[in-house]
Amino acid sequence: MSLLETVDVKVKFGGNVALNDVSISVEAGSVTGLIGPNGAGKTTLFNTITGLQPLTSGKIVFNGKDVTKEPPHKRTRMGLARTFQRLELFTSLSVRDNVRVAGEIRNRWSFRTARMDVNAETDRIIQLVGLADVADREVGEIPTGQARVVELARALMIQPTLLLLDEPASGQTEEETEQFGELLKDLARNDGLGICLVEHDMALVMKVCETIHVLDFGIIISSGTADYVRNDPTVIDAYLGSPESVG
Amino acid sequence: MQTFLQYTILGLAIGGSYFIAASGLVVTYTTSGIFNFAQGAIAMIAVFTYWQFRWGWNWPAPLALLMVLGVLAPLLGAALYQVVMKNLRGTSEVTKIIVPIGVMLGFQALATWVWNPTSSTPRQFQKFFGPNAFVHFGSIKVSWHEIIAFVIAIAIAVGIRLLFVRTRSGVAMRAVVDDPELLQLNGGRPERLAMISWAGGSFLAALAGILIQPMIGSAMSAGQLTLLVIDAFAAAMFGRLRSLPRTLAGALVIGITTTYVIAYFPSKWTWASSFRNSLPMIFLFIVLIVLPQDRLRGATVLRLRERFRMPSIRTAWIAGLVLMVVVFCLKVIMERTAVNTLTLALTFAIIALSLVLLTGFAGEINLAALSFGAIAVIVVYHFGTTGSGSDARTTLWGILLAAVVTALVGAVIALPALRLRGLYLALATMAFGVFVSRMVLTERNERDIFGLKFTIFTAGQLTIPKPKIGPFDFNSPDAFLFLCAGLFAIIGIGMVYLRHSGYGRRLAAMKDSPAASATLGMSVVRLKLSIFMMSTAIAGIGGVMMAAQIGTVNSDRFDILLSLSLMMITVVGGIGYISGALFAGIFLIAFVQMLDLTLKKFAVDYSSIEAIFLFFVSVVTVLPATIGITMGKNPSGAVSEILNGLDQIKQSKPLVITLVGLEAAIWALAATDVITNWHFVILTMVNLFIVPVVGGKVLLARAMRGVPKPVPPELVGIDRPFTFDDLAEMDRALDLEGVVVPSAGTVREGATGVSA
Ligand SMILES: Nc1ncnc2c1ncn2[C@@H]1O[C@H](COP(=O)(O)OP(=O)(O)OP(=O)(O)O)[C@@H](O)[C@H]1O
Ligand SMILES: [Mg+2]
Repeated sequence: MSLLETVDVKVKFGGNVALNDVSISVEAGSVTGLIGPNGAGKTTLFNTITGLQPLTSGKIVFNGKDVTKEPPHKRTRMGLARTFQRLELFTSLSVRDNVRVAGEIRNRWSFRTARMDVNAETDRIIQLVGLADVADREVGEIPTGQARVVELARALMIQPTLLLLDEPASGQTEEETEQFGELLKDLARNDGLGICLVEHDMALVMKVCETIHVLDFGIIISSGTADYVRNDPTVIDAYLGSPESVG
Repeated sequence: MQTFLQYTILGLAIGGSYFIAASGLVVTYTTSGIFNFAQGAIAMIAVFTYWQFRWGWNWPAPLALLMVLGVLAPLLGAALYQVVMKNLRGTSEVTKIIVPIGVMLGFQALATWVWNPTSSTPRQFQKFFGPNAFVHFGSIKVSWHEIIAFVIAIAIAVGIRLLFVRTRSGVAMRAVVDDPELLQLNGGRPERLAMISWAGGSFLAALAGILIQPMIGSAMSAGQLTLLVIDAFAAAMFGRLRSLPRTLAGALVIGITTTYVIAYFPSKWTWASSFRNSLPMIFLFIVLIVLPQDRLRGATVLRLRERFRMPSIRTAWIAGLVLMVVVFCLKVIMERTAVNTLTLALTFAIIALSLVLLTGFAGEINLAALSFGAIAVIVVYHFGTTGSGSDARTTLWGILLAAVVTALVGAVIALPALRLRGLYLALATMAFGVFVSRMVLTERNERDIFGLKFTIFTAGQLTIPKPKIGPFDFNSPDAFLFLCAGLFAIIGIGMVYLRHSGYGRRLAAMKDSPAASATLGMSVVRLKLSIFMMSTAIAGIGGVMMAAQIGTVNSDRFDILLSLSLMMITVVGGIGYISGALFAGIFLIAFVQMLDLTLKKFAVDYSSIEAIFLFFVSVVTVLPATIGITMGKNPSGAVSEILNGLDQIKQSKPLVITLVGLEAAIWALAATDVITNWHFVILTMVNLFIVPVVGGKVLLARAMRGVPKPVPPELVGIDRPFTFDDLAEMDRALDLEGVVVPSAGTVREGATGVSA
């Protein structure tokens, strides 16, 4: 059984079908890629998985449970976390407090026995993702690449089992991306996290993802290993047909 | 049967007019994303202007109509959009709500200025074709005016529908709110569309006003017409601010029910007419309860535009102490009446603290703070006092009980709206405010409520004695002054503690991004509820203090327009700051009153140029609203401006010494009676406001000389995040005139998708 499965998810905005019967799965302990040209519907899919966007039809199964009707916070409490492509940082808090408040929110809903020591965990995560240098800065002042890492740190604070990352590396320098890829692999391998990665940086995707789903105009046009997808003619078509080419 | 038909027709006509006003709301909201709180005020201005043309100057009706509906109203709407509302793109929901409220208050003040309500002859406003133009249908007679109202409503419903569905610009209009950037990419011009729709919305408001005024049958009142917006938004809410057919249905239901209440409620039900007046509010609540949950929204505001720094706990204690010392120094030099004014200002500042807590910390909006104060005052009056006559005192338990009851009432009001967008909570509270004014504060008859026999608002006024807490009696004006100052300081410091706690951080998280908070597992509704209750409790305590200071309060003290002014001025002061609340109390009560008194005194002293001073007295009444309207320019408020100045001053010893020295000198002059209190206040204002700002600018200019070159455009966003200025700079560089500035994420990504 997969950690996450979307079953025939359809989302319409007025007459515009953003997702058309999308079925993908994400396994625990591995990084799954979700790629596709601009406007393909990747963010919309994340929104449906996290419960921010209601479905027109279809269902979302997480941990073997149908969560289609659950509100976002209930899904999170089952172990689902995400980052946002359009940054959703808490701009009135410092970098450290952005991370810390996530732990404080978590302590409100986790069972009493599972309470974490928020301060210690905050320090650990900040070290882990490499934000120690900017921890006391205002979150609005740091560069976009690092701001995305803050989003990741915040998501990690709730100790999820599934992590959805929406273009986490855009705005990062090459070096930062390198480290970031390693971190993702570690998280999947060592902590058994299931990670779903949306990313336009193909080098990163090909390097860290074991499985890749390709979305185009709301339809999954290809799924498989990195090698398979890279050589799939439909994928190449989709990318060549759009202004953006495979990186 | 005859009554039934008669009232049904009247109901349809009134409902039709509600719809016309409501459709204006829907149109402007859909195209500009701004809820026009001034809709009723526009209607009011139009009604008065029409009256002026038609009966003041005896113009023929068609000419007057053409002038008002065809020329002035659309011009007003277009101008409002161009000058004021256009600047609101990219600001927070709070600013988008406050600025139209400023416009509303401004029009309100303007109307009482131009058309003095206390003038000798009551203004008569007649139906079309005069009061006796009837059509007879069998045994019933219907006035032409009613028929016209209903027919126009239907015509407008059909017309707008066709416009939206059939025409290109109509379809485009619907798209603007959904995604202005997308529309622009497709060659649409959202700015122009929005302006046209504001012109149309203003026309519809004016039309609704002129139709409805003679049907409600009372004398023209600026306040009553302004609040027409509430009846209209109750109707618009039926259609969720989108669907016009449902809005029409809602408006007709409201219109008909209100007339049936008049027709069929037994005349011995003395509350029937207040009930009738409150019906739209009651409808609104029902609609709010049944509306489905909103999608959670992310941070739609570009960062950096509205920022509040939170003081450290230590700073808060020092500030509290300074406040007490300053109040003491002031007390020494002030006359009795001035002490009273200061105390009253502090009680309003306490009420404003409730707004800072709710809006500044949590991003939610309460537009009826004083109505919650009224609830608390009623509780204290009935259950919270001991002794009688001059020995009467408010008890601590009475105050606490009042706070608890207010919090519970707050919970009931907020609960249906908390699942929804901030705007809906704002509307719910405003509806509650009007409900309290129209239904609760008009309750002067003895009632049997749950076996308890009492009158809610005895004889139209309540007397609240000064409090006595334990051994401390606060009956003397000085003692009460210190109580209020102390209370403000304690609550303020408490709020700073709160903001530095986990709870405070969770509030900040919720305010900055409800979507991200929910995806971290937060139950947003529960947090909102708790903060709303806490905030209304503070408003309640402040309300009790205000009533205790005044002594005997009537219902005017809790007027919704006063609540709106307080909210607006707090935002102007800086809704994120404790000192913003202090600013609001002092500005609204002490400063405006002082200006008013001083000008009136001058008018007497220099009677040859009296008119000039009296003109400025009127200007003062419009002043707060004018300041509110400019909020779009500086959404972080005046306090932050001052703090920024102070920050730079702190680094410059000479300036600090100048400031403190000047102030000490001014105080010494006043303490030795060399200068009067008025002079003291004015000189202090000059010293405290002008010196930091000017000093700051000077320092800044000096510092600028050593500043490194600005970041080159291609590195903006990499070296540091985008700001509005960067965008403007790029627009200029790329020669993109009039491009809508999209919100933060979009700029980073160039993506068109709307995030959660
Ligand atoms: N709230 C919304 N209302 C209407 N249409 C929407 C909304 N959100 C997304 N869309 C549309 O759905 C489609 C998919 O958008 P989505 O943001 O999911 O794409 P994406 O794959 O994330 O693209 P990108 O790579 O640019 O981030 C787009 O055509 C977009 O315009
Ligand atoms: Mg996306």
